[in-house]
Amino acid sequence: MTSEAIRNEWYPVALASQLGPEGRDTRLLGEPIRVDWAAQGRPRVRAADGREMATRLRYGHIWACPGTPSRELFDIPEADQPGRRLVDVGVVRVKCSPLRAVENFLDIAHFPFVHTDILGAEPHTEVGKYDVAIREEVDEVWATKVHFYQPQAAKSAAGGITTEYMYRVPAPTVSILYKTCPPRPGEWDVITLFVQPLEENLCEVWPWMALFDDETPMTDLIHFQQTIFLQDRSILENQLPRLLPLDPGMEIPTRADLTSVAYRRWLKRRGYTYGAQLVAA
Amino acid sequence: MWTPVALSRDVPPLVVLPVVAGGRELALWRSASGRIAAWADRCPHRGMRLSHGFVRGEALSCIYHGWSYGAAGNCLRIPAHPDLEPPETIRVAVHVAAEAGGLIWVAPSAPEAPPPDPGALQPLRSLTVEAGTAAVLSLAGLAGDTLARGHLAGVEVTVAVQPIGPARCALHVLTGAAGAAERIALSRELDALRRRAEAGEMAA
Ligand code: FES
Ligand SMILES: [Fe+2]
Repeated sequence: MTSEAIRNEWYPVALASQLGPEGRDTRLLGEPIRVDWAAQGRPRVRAADGREMATRLRYGHIWACPGTPSRELFDIPEADQPGRRLVDVGVVRVKCSPLRAVENFLDIAHFPFVHTDILGAEPHTEVGKYDVAIREEVDEVWATKVHFYQPQAAKSAAGGITTEYMYRVPAPTVSILYKTCPPRPGEWDVITLFVQPLEENLCEVWPWMALFDDETPMTDLIHFQQTIFLQDRSILENQLPRLLPLDPGMEIPTRADLTSVAYRRWLKRRGYTYGAQLVAA
Repeated sequence: MWTPVALSRDVPPLVVLPVVAGGRELALWRSASGRIAAWADRCPHRGMRLSHGFVRGEALSCIYHGWSYGAAGNCLRIPAHPDLEPPETIRVAVHVAAEAGGLIWVAPSAPEAPPPDPGALQPLRSLTVEAGTAAVLSLAGLAGDTLARGHLAGVEVTVAVQPIGPARCALHVLTGAAGAAERIALSRELDALRRRAEAGEMAA
């Protein structure tokens, strides 16, 4: 049985646009669940014993909390901003800890090596100083003023540019990336990674986007994001140990890893250990 | 204890691949100048398998963030911080690798004796078999352990045996001066041996 700190969080369990009348049998935190539509288009998520969980329909996805929600589902104000295109990317199953998937999404230093010529390219490998904080008032991890050179920052970017990013972790298995938006200076494109923890070493990842981009065909937007994530998957399935180490000692962070350091510290202090390992364990 | 892990010919310069020796997962790689090395298959930074990395010159780089490591396993460069001199403490665990008789041998620390030398033979091929070492050798009618000898398809062979797990091993096969037809017959015999061993057939 997982702890309350784990059970009281919100998790994505289905993409609303892909959930047919037949429903979806899946897993959450190692237990089978069933997702379907109740009357009036209301999503319903049930445990194996038939017990209904708290649900939300938001950001294109169905969310469930297996315990008692410790707070409301996090807000992404940009999701309601007029003029944005909301992109349901779909699902990718990855044989890795859900926390490793989130941590990888917070990482920029890998762009030149894993997303070569798309999100990064040698010799532009340097990660400058950026700011990281655990924002106590909202209990979220934030990294800001992150700058990185990208040969093709987004589908709508023609050439190389220095892109600015912000990263936000509003829940243990969710990461939101804000990125300079080439066609709309002053606004941020929003790219999220919603991670459904099936098991401690298995997850389903649902990228989702809210973009200012009226030009690019939807299939190209989806394909771009899927290409990126499949490159990440080849990393995620080959990291050892499989569980994310929350205590220092097993891995060697540098200044570029400060977001990851803050994320691990934040997980540890809230007792979130699903998909994690403590050195003593 | 030396373990044979590959035929020298199959690991040309700039290649890195995963191998198992003595129950440990290793990244086996050859530098541009031809130096062979076997390291723990785990990058000290964030744990990525180094066998997915790439070789440039005399260094092995990790595919995740590009950290590169020199001959002694010491970190040479952290691309995210190009001006930083990596601390001495960042090191990959290095095993001993050596070559003898067309084979690559690995040991956890320098053994007293050099690796066994099978003599002047020709490499034929390596194959992995999903069966235990003892079962495969007795089914093949080969005698010996690390270097087993005997005849297959009428050809005299020397087989360097690499145990990988309780039900998995690799055979690195060498022959004397055999003609093309004999080599083909021998290779077919090895495929048949693998099928029989994996089907659970026992030596009569
Ligand atoms: S995990 Fe190897 S360089 Fe980061
Ligand atoms: Fe990535």
